[in-house]
Amino acid sequence: MTGALVALGTLLLAAAAGLALRARDGRIRVTAAAPSADTGSGNSGSGNSGSVSSEPVSGQPVDKVPEDVRAVLDPAAAVTLVQLSTTFCTPCRHARVVLSDLADRTDGLAHTDIDLTDRPALAAALAVLRTPTTLAVDAHGVELLRVGGVPKRNDLLAALRPHLPA
Amino acid sequence: MSGPTEPSPHQSAQLAAQPSGRTVDPRGPRFAAWVTTAVLVAVLVTGWWPLLAAQAVVFALGAFAGPRHSPYSVLYRVLVAPRLAPTDEREDVAPLRFAQGVGFGFAVVGVLGYASGLVALGVVATAFALAAAFLNAAFGFCLGCEAYLLLNRLSIINKKVGTAR
Repeated sequence: MTGALVALGTLLLAAAAGLALRARDGRIRVTAAAPSADTGSGNSGSGNSGSVSSEPVSGQPVDKVPEDVRAVLDPAAAVTLVQLSTTFCTPCRHARVVLSDLADRTDGLAHTDIDLTDRPALAAALAVLRTPTTLAVDAHGVELLRVGGVPKRNDLLAALRPHLPA
Repeated sequence: MSGPTEPSPHQSAQLAAQPSGRTVDPRGPRFAAWVTTAVLVAVLVTGWWPLLAAQAVVFALGAFAGPRHSPYSVLYRVLVAPRLAPTDEREDVAPLRFAQGVGFGFAVVGVLGYASGLVALGVVATAFALAAAFLNAAFGFCLGCEAYLLLNRLSIINKKVGTAR
């Protein structure tokens, strides 16, 4: 009897968790240190979570992504989409298809991929809990926004628009 | 760019032609997750641990021999796949094996719990495995794969825990 109740409770909890995770998937979180104003792309009102050290002085952002990430940025692009993946990640494949296609078709946008499977220190430095997570990093190495899960193409493009060449 | 191990979409279409590669039909693992869910519910309801032990063996086959050798996968190929339209969609084997390994861990703990009289331990371990299997079946969400990064991050402190398959 107890077992049946546990089974039922587990299924209900898992269903709730699944719905919550599905709702969060692909949502854009704007990183507050970004120099350009939040364009209010959609519902991400919560702002950022951490990095207190930066001051919003115009044009001179303080927080930069770690050197390992800056090394893979495309110097010719205004914004590089840095996708963080692991070997054990099926949706990373879907994210890769979406992002590389978006970068191919958008001027000033590049896409690259970092495999975090054997680099827990970098995952910790970036405060990444799940893969895929995608960081949008500008040419100065400043993180503009990040997306957990498979990004939604149109939402992402709308959020990046102010940072891209006209 | 930095992924020599990752096939491009074009290459994975080629991989689809040779079924015994490093990829599988994604509907197979989904089917297996539903069967696993049903089995684990039955374990919780009956408390009959030999059934959980059998599920542990299934997990072990999926993790260590590969998903294609799991009995549920064989069931899918024989009973279900012939009734479905063939698909070009492929899924990597590595995440599946990792997830089956996580399931194996929980199942072993559950069997030890039930068999040794620590029923609460058996129930909790089985419930965790059930939650993971159900999330995979109903939402396509791989808990073991997501947890990999967390385990690996913890292993900075606890030396290499998460890097074991």
